[in-house]
Amino acid sequence: MTTEMLAVFLGSSIRLAMPLLLAAIGELVSERAGVLNMSLEGMMLTGAFAGAVAAWATGSPVLGLVAAVAAVVPVALLQAFLTNTLRANQIVSGLGLNILILGATTLGYREIFGARSREAIPGFDKWSPPGLGDIPVFGEAVFTQVWLVYAAPLIVIAVAMMLRTTALGIALRAAGESPRVLDRAGLSAVRLRYGVVIFTGIMAALGGAFLAIGDIHTFTEGMTNGAGYLAIAAVIFGKWDIVRTAIACLLFGAATALQFQLPAMGIEVPSALLIMSPYLLAFLSVAGLVGRQTAPRALAVPYWR
Amino acid sequence: MLALRGVGKRFGAFAALTDVDLEIRGGEVHCLLGENGAGKSTLCNLLFGIHVPDAGEIRLDGAAYVPRGPRDALAAGVAMVHQHFSLIDDMSVVDNLLLGQARGMVNRKAYAARLGELADRYGLALAPFARVGDISIGERQRVEIVKCLMREPRVLILDEPTAVLLPDEIRSLLAVVRRVAAQGCAVILVTHKLAEIRTVADRVSVLRQGRIAATSDAPADDIGALVRAMIQRPMEGLDPAMMVTLGMAQDAAPRAPAPHRRATLPPRDMLQLDGITVRDADGAIRLDTLTVTVRPGEIVGIAGVEGNGQSELGAVLAGLAVPDEGRVVVDGADLTGRRPQAFTAAGVGIVPEDRHLVGAIVDMSLTENLFLDRARVPTRFGLLRRGEMRKTALAMMAQFDVRAAGPDVAFGSLSGGNQQKAVLGRELTTPGLKVLLAAQPTRGLDVGAVEAVYGLIRDACARGVAVLLISSELDEIIAVADRVLVLYRGRIVGERPADPAERERIGALMAGQST
Repeated sequence: MTTEMLAVFLGSSIRLAMPLLLAAIGELVSERAGVLNMSLEGMMLTGAFAGAVAAWATGSPVLGLVAAVAAVVPVALLQAFLTNTLRANQIVSGLGLNILILGATTLGYREIFGARSREAIPGFDKWSPPGLGDIPVFGEAVFTQVWLVYAAPLIVIAVAMMLRTTALGIALRAAGESPRVLDRAGLSAVRLRYGVVIFTGIMAALGGAFLAIGDIHTFTEGMTNGAGYLAIAAVIFGKWDIVRTAIACLLFGAATALQFQLPAMGIEVPSALLIMSPYLLAFLSVAGLVGRQTAPRALAVPYWR
Repeated sequence: MLALRGVGKRFGAFAALTDVDLEIRGGEVHCLLGENGAGKSTLCNLLFGIHVPDAGEIRLDGAAYVPRGPRDALAAGVAMVHQHFSLIDDMSVVDNLLLGQARGMVNRKAYAARLGELADRYGLALAPFARVGDISIGERQRVEIVKCLMREPRVLILDEPTAVLLPDEIRSLLAVVRRVAAQGCAVILVTHKLAEIRTVADRVSVLRQGRIAATSDAPADDIGALVRAMIQRPMEGLDPAMMVTLGMAQDAAPRAPAPHRRATLPPRDMLQLDGITVRDADGAIRLDTLTVTVRPGEIVGIAGVEGNGQSELGAVLAGLAVPDEGRVVVDGADLTGRRPQAFTAAGVGIVPEDRHLVGAIVDMSLTENLFLDRARVPTRFGLLRRGEMRKTALAMMAQFDVRAAGPDVAFGSLSGGNQQKAVLGRELTTPGLKVLLAAQPTRGLDVGAVEAVYGLIRDACARGVAVLLISSELDEIIAVADRVLVLYRGRIVGERPADPAERERIGALMAGQST
């Protein structure tokens, strides 16, 4: 592998990992508080669609990003209502939402874009931090990225700090271990769990919008293509630890990048196998953890006083 | 300070509390006495806002007090130590204490220092940065108390705080309770142990079937009357084992010393556990070369604080866990590594510690539950013969005094005592019963049911069944068993005769102090 190839591989790994990472941060916070958002996939897809439509209509990717968040928050509220107020099964309700959203965005896409399906959507410009961008080879391929890429590690640090050093972080972990204890300490498990689902929605919206207006500059039907599920797998792979989850996202991103890299290097591998690889990796990582008690104890368990 | 007038609470058709009038004064330790199911916990939960009363009113310092949740109660200065720990095992002591008390960024060091001051004042020493899951049961109870005291409450409610503690720990806890009351706090202490009332209570109220049955201003002198009010029977003529479990060890009639009884038993081992070692999924040792033998007709008690290997021992005897090392021999037949059916066929009966989880299926009928482990359910052409099953079930209900509306009612609709009698009855009628394991057999039962359970266990023992009794209630083991083995961290750390005089020694062994 030449240096150029390595640089391109690293750059595209980071770029492909980004939607996963943004969504996974949200999902991690939510799962630490005891809510499993199976609808992460649908939330990302909503974000991608709303972001694309708004950016296309206004010509501004920033407004696209805002629209993505605005569109996903109601979905998150619905998921929070189903899981916390109605105490529905979190996996079934999440999958239901995903199917609903796949249908809705496909319909919306055909109605709005219709014949103009190949139209490019205004996206974010790439940017590199001063100094880093001037490094030969790597500066262009690795460090020149959409600004959201640089926001992600900052969010990771902020969330890690929140979990470790704030009263909110303690309450959040308690909600995931035993909402009853939280209730008896005079805090509201339901309110906190509403909060984390909405936070997940916002992060999923950023992840979805990154796909449509940060990376590819177009919307296609079902374009998240399982990224939400991969983000959930990354949280499990990361054993509910934020740094390990971020690493898992990068790993999945790298596995996806290999799809493009190996053929470019002239290595003949059936393409279907390469497309499978991140999912296969996720599957193995999750299967390897069976029987280990690392998940929050009250994960996906609704709370009744 | 706290006054209840005509307070009532119903759960569906069940009246948990009816017309309760109660007055709690500042500076007093007010004990609530009553059997399981008498409404003590419901009353505490009403005061803490977990339940809302349907009738009557509660006044705190003269003002109406209507808590809609623990948040309201805590804001009004009412704190509670719950019957079961309300701690997050996976967090440190400090973090558990900070939960709900801090805002924004937390300063753990400063808080730990405050913790030290409180510890000095009340004699409640704690390691602030230890993980709660790693500290002992006694220390966890201390965390619960400190959690309440940090809020400087006006009313402190303790719901059976001593149930899980060892004799030594109970003494220091009661001392703390006295000190808290001395500072003007109103303390409500729930217990069913009369010995504690002697030590600590200023006043006592007895609850029976959700009503106040008696109140005493001089409880130490009124013990006899309080017992009568609680169980509607005079103290005289109670089974001595019952007296001990009620916390009246010194009032119990002396029994024949156990070693003599052992000498009269057939000198062969009905149950033989030989060097059993069990590791969990993470490879940690749960049972460590455990060796126990039980003769026919003998009751061997396994004492120990919960979580020291009792569950694993139960699983091994049920055939649910295969020991990594060692042998399980029942009446000469090696059952090591065999399936649960083989254990049942060999005559091993199991009364599991959690009857809802493994002992029964609450949504199935009583009859079906009585046949759950039967290899030979009456069938014809492969179909169940319901009539036969009902007939057998009715006979078993009569034999074991299981009171239910009928054999077809859902198991879950029975009271705890009747559920336990049904499970015990099913296990005792296991064909060719040779060994009975009873794990925490009287937990949550009322006095009548406890007496019935002891009676059934003794009957089995008289028939020559070898009985292994696992209990975290030290008094129960001393009262019922012939000899006591102490389980600590998966190892048998001592064997003592089941004699009330050995109570302290056994308690020390349970705490891991080798004497």
